[in-house]
Amino acid sequence: MFAFIIRRLAILPVVLLALTLVIVGLLQFLTPAERAVAYVTNEQQLRNLDKIIRDKGLDQPFLVQYWSWLKEAVRGNLGFSKASNKPVTETIAERFPATLELTLYALVPILGFGVWLGTLAGLNKNKWIDQFARVFAVITYNIPTFVLGILLLVVFYGALGIAPGPGLISSETQVELLINPVPRVTGLLSIDALLARNWPVFWDVLHHLLLPVITLATISTATLIKVTRGAMLEVLSQDYVRTARAKGLPDRVVNLKHARRNGLIPVATLGGYTVIGLLQGAIITESIFGLPGIGSWGVDAAGKFDVPGLLGFALLAGVIVVVASLLVDVLYALIDPRVRFD
Amino acid sequence: MKKPLLAAALTLGLSLAMAATPPNTLVIMEDADIPTLDPAQAYDSASYEFIENIYETLVTYKGKSVSDVAPLLATSWTISGDGRTYTFTLRQNVKFHSGNPFTCADAEYTLRRDLVTNNSDSGNWYLSDAILGTSSNANDDKSITFAKIANGVKCNAQGQLVLTLPKRDPALLYKLAASNMSIVDKKWAASLGEWDGTEATWKEWIGKDLTDSELSKKPSGTGAYQLVRREANSMVLKAFDGYWGGKPKIENVVWQLVKEQATRIEALKKGDADIASIGPRSSLSQVQGTPGLKVYDGITNNSSTAIFMNENIKDPAILGSGKLDGNGIPANFFADVNVRKGFAYSFDYDRYIKEVQLGKGTKRTMLLPDSFFGYDPNVKTYSYDPKLAEAFFKKAFGGQLWQNGFVLNASYRANSVAAQTAMEILKTNIEKLNPKFKVNLTAKPWSDFLKNSQQGKEAMIIIGWLPDYADPDNFLYTFYSSNGYYFPRSNFKDSLMDSLLEQARQTTDPAKRKALYSQVGNRAYELAPYINVPAGQGFVVYSDKIKGLEENANIMFSGITLSPWKNLTKGSGL
Repeated sequence: MFAFIIRRLAILPVVLLALTLVIVGLLQFLTPAERAVAYVTNEQQLRNLDKIIRDKGLDQPFLVQYWSWLKEAVRGNLGFSKASNKPVTETIAERFPATLELTLYALVPILGFGVWLGTLAGLNKNKWIDQFARVFAVITYNIPTFVLGILLLVVFYGALGIAPGPGLISSETQVELLINPVPRVTGLLSIDALLARNWPVFWDVLHHLLLPVITLATISTATLIKVTRGAMLEVLSQDYVRTARAKGLPDRVVNLKHARRNGLIPVATLGGYTVIGLLQGAIITESIFGLPGIGSWGVDAAGKFDVPGLLGFALLAGVIVVVASLLVDVLYALIDPRVRFD
Repeated sequence: MKKPLLAAALTLGLSLAMAATPPNTLVIMEDADIPTLDPAQAYDSASYEFIENIYETLVTYKGKSVSDVAPLLATSWTISGDGRTYTFTLRQNVKFHSGNPFTCADAEYTLRRDLVTNNSDSGNWYLSDAILGTSSNANDDKSITFAKIANGVKCNAQGQLVLTLPKRDPALLYKLAASNMSIVDKKWAASLGEWDGTEATWKEWIGKDLTDSELSKKPSGTGAYQLVRREANSMVLKAFDGYWGGKPKIENVVWQLVKEQATRIEALKKGDADIASIGPRSSLSQVQGTPGLKVYDGITNNSSTAIFMNENIKDPAILGSGKLDGNGIPANFFADVNVRKGFAYSFDYDRYIKEVQLGKGTKRTMLLPDSFFGYDPNVKTYSYDPKLAEAFFKKAFGGQLWQNGFVLNASYRANSVAAQTAMEILKTNIEKLNPKFKVNLTAKPWSDFLKNSQQGKEAMIIIGWLPDYADPDNFLYTFYSSNGYYFPRSNFKDSLMDSLLEQARQTTDPAKRKALYSQVGNRAYELAPYINVPAGQGFVVYSDKIKGLEENANIMFSGITLSPWKNLTKGSGL
């Protein structure tokens, strides 16, 4: 297994190289002036547009620009992001924990509710719970994330007043943190607050993550319901399930031990890719709810043609995709004995 | 097992839902990130909002006035008879947030640092222009030496700051009141690894980008608020105990970056923000009438917007046939004053105010904010008058224009609804005058639009100007002088106008300057080099618990609160 993991990780630099090359290549379709505007915050600065283009090397040939970025990148210097006004590495270090926190909490309803409802639907084909699961999955799958986010915000925060406002914590907690600061251990504020036993901050973060998590998790939950249901239906029609029932095993044992365990194999595959999907969803969710993650930074970087920012974001996304795919493969082999690492 | 979970979920959902902003805390929500907290680099309103609360300038604006300058870190000043030497007596017993005392060495260091770094993204060019006689830094202008900088800015034996200029600059005090001229803590900056202020190291700092400087990360000013925590989407500041003007009433300020407009509006309505940017005037209806919220409307706009009529178009591609044959225009199309006047009488100013500014706009006599010194309300203005427009077009080019017609290619910045509407109003009215008149409109990306126009390649554009400092020269020279920043875009050159503007630059007597600017206004009316687009009024929506906002509002402050936070108090509502 170790050799397998090493082999898979070895492709990481190739993926990242190709990814960044494509981005820098695509950006060449913009004129140097269009890219230089990223460095301009007001009309007065445009007197220096030519100087900005020269200073930043934006008029250099494509490969020269890429090479100058790459040789710095391999030294750990990913450049300066105009979208965050900080070095890219510092931006990622500051913002990634918030995205990770949101994504991890979103996995709870996706894996918990999605698998539970999908299993129930599969076991009760065409009964009311199955009909409900199917309708629920179709509706929630088809609501765009940005519509759902704003809708939840307007209804539960604006109209009903039963959800908190934007940000990761309330202004009261911001002030409270001045008096009782939470030591940053993991960078995930809820976990750090938990470790520090600072309950007001812990609950406030969870409270603020409620709507963003629902927004982010909805589409993936719907997908998982559909996949789990389909997998269960397929497994339930297999010979070994029929044999198990013929042997007189109780339904509970057959359903949960024999059927669901095998039904979860495609779910495990999908689970890995769900993490990647969540990263995309986080871009929208963070912007709507004012969360300080890498998603909202990515949007800004794209809008401002912030090349180092975009490349940094792509690198991070590339690492996440490769690592998530690797985890899926490892998990797959562990669940399914027919799959070998070699 | 299920019941406790449900109870916890409900508690989580309901317990904090009705929380409002804490009583001693001002909560601000905005949509623009803060690029830097280093005054030497800042050149945008988002950064200025914090800089004007963390730091202080030598002088500031007096109350609501944008023309009267008041003491701040300088208590008084004298100007030599030739107008070239300014001596500032500095305030005593002032401390920085670091605990260091404020001395003349800090003021000297700050202005020298501005002159040394002066990079292309910063606004230090106008200080350099005043003190060194060039807007460039020492990399681009080799005549700049450390001795030249040190002679221009130095402390005398009495601990006063002395600025020596190569020539008069009546705008100097306004320049020093700008937020990017805020005084920094020399000892603190040097201890963080910033420039140490010596000749031995100055060359390493020429043109340096200070956006993410150590000082930006850990600012120390003399302002009423000090930075406590800065995170990706939020900042927390607290009142500075050692503030020389007495500790401000509001203890904490929490700022949150919330990109989504709908979210900011909801937060304001729910009382989770005391003040928030809510977008364009059209969104005002969403918050008007909400209990607990106040709208401060009719705020004077401190920018000027104009439709440019380029008198020497340098791109043959947009000239069509390049002749007055009904299929294009000649490069000097707008050099005929009758054409410019015809266009000026074709713009429906009232319709623009009604449609774009929803009735909240004002026609201006000059391309200068009406609250600025030098603004003359008695200068005549153009109105929409198709008959007069027709008369001028018939006179243009000896009648050839009216007879043959023209095709004009005009541009506006893509996604700017206001600019697009203005151009469409003009197009409709022009094309109504004569079926042979044709105006094509093109939306262009900002970068192309600005780059082309800077090279004189656009025939007609719409663009504005925001003040660097509150002096009429910053607007009028920019628009009307043949040495002004906008000259390449308009190619408008008039020797009388140039002479008036140069005289005003060298005149320190306010009455004489005012008279000169009135003449500039009248000359601009006579020659119509631009169509003056009406100025929209601003508004702010805020919690009625906040007091002192409207009383202290000054449009030269960049923050959403319109004056430093120290002027505000927070009560219990109406």
